[in-house]
Amino acid sequence: MANSKTVIFKIKRQQTPESKPYWEEFELQYRPGMNVTSALMDIAANPVTRQGKPTTPVTYDSNCLEEICGSCAMLINGQAKMACSALVANLKQPITLEPFSKFPIVRDLAVDRSVLFENLKGVKAWVPVDGTYDLGTGPRQSSEMQEEAYPLSNCISCCCCMEACPQFNDKTGFVGAATIAQVRLFNSHPTGKALKTERLKALMGDGGIQECGYAQNCVEICPKELPLTKSIADVGGQVMWQAVKDFFRT
Amino acid sequence: MASSASSIDTSSARIKKGVAPLRAGQGYSFVLRRLHSLSGIVPIGAFLIEHFISNSEASKGVQAYNDQVKFLTSLPFVHVLEWVFIFLPLLYHGIYGLYIWYKGDSNVGEYPWSGNWLYTSQRWTGIIAFIYIAYHVIDLRFLGVHLMGGGYQNAFSKVWFDFQSPWTIAFYVIGIVAASWHFAYGVWLFAAKWGLTTGDNARRKFGYVCTALALVLIGIGLWTITGFVRTPAAQVPWVEHD
Repeated sequence: MANSKTVIFKIKRQQTPESKPYWEEFELQYRPGMNVTSALMDIAANPVTRQGKPTTPVTYDSNCLEEICGSCAMLINGQAKMACSALVANLKQPITLEPFSKFPIVRDLAVDRSVLFENLKGVKAWVPVDGTYDLGTGPRQSSEMQEEAYPLSNCISCCCCMEACPQFNDKTGFVGAATIAQVRLFNSHPTGKALKTERLKALMGDGGIQECGYAQNCVEICPKELPLTKSIADVGGQVMWQAVKDFFRT
Repeated sequence: MASSASSIDTSSARIKKGVAPLRAGQGYSFVLRRLHSLSGIVPIGAFLIEHFISNSEASKGVQAYNDQVKFLTSLPFVHVLEWVFIFLPLLYHGIYGLYIWYKGDSNVGEYPWSGNWLYTSQRWTGIIAFIYIAYHVIDLRFLGVHLMGGGYQNAFSKVWFDFQSPWTIAFYVIGIVAASWHFAYGVWLFAAKWGLTTGDNARRKFGYVCTALALVLIGIGLWTITGFVRTPAAQVPWVEHD
């Protein structure tokens, strides 16, 4: 039985990192359970615009298709969202797809989000266990600690919190909520806290935690519901204590 | 083939056009920004509360108000006090605040959520309060009849004559609302950013406290204005204007 229901997508495209962006419209057959990633797959299978003009398949990042890899984040109807979990049935039409606005464009909807990797390196967001000999098992963690840490470990590095943040831009060079949440995670880890002072001092640098304006878009937009505002407040307190110690004891 | 491959290879231009990564441990913006936050509470916020309470003496009439001004203007080292605890912190908070405003990109259009609206309102109430306070300080502290050094008996009259214009009263109402809101939300932001209210519940409850603080301050401010407006001209001593 033919289903005549269709979906219209307006997609912002860009051939190269330097070239000018342009819009293309696509009209797709609606299928139950359709999401933005599956729609982009449909376009790739038949790359013809709504006007009947043959075009190239739309470039986009995706991998897991189940909101766990963090790669398919884009602006869907103007808001930062994961394409794989954005159900077409829940979106207002025509559905506009744009690449993230605050990251260098690779092509079409694919952007370079390596700034987050640089930031995570900048705050040493890891547990230092490398050595020349076996360090053995780490200290036991209480279930309370695990309950605090687990939600923070859910970060998928999608950068939605940074894209939606009014303070994350060229003028501030703000580090963003995701990195601050990882500082909280690794500072709370019994072995990870060996680098606590270094992490807090890193976050005092330009673009550090002080640039947060507490607009709270991060915690609203986060697809994994990380406690981002709580993390910024908690790490904000840690950084303040570090600053006070540095000021009076060095 | 090689040229088309290189045109989409971004490895050589990583983060070139995007937001800069954290400058870990570098610069002074942390101290300046935290000083901005602190200066809004102490001394500016503390003075704001004192100022509202002192001015509310206007509701008790001309003599009570002028006596309060006499007490304040006769404090020892009053000029040092006003520059160190009022003018310089206000200048720092206002000018650095403009810089903070310039650096932020409000996006309530795309993300119309309450926290984001409050973020934007903190910038707008800040600029309104800054313009209002600049006018208020220049007009009442530096222009016209001087209230320092024994001029206190002209205090009530000076404000009363200003309030003969409904435009001035309207500007005062806007200024009082903006400054009260900016201060109360600033206290809330201070508690959140300095790690005093880390939990979601704590921040929500403190939000009620700060909303009450804003409403009380606005109430005192408007009550003070009515103190001047209700006083008939016959009770107000004439002031020679310069």
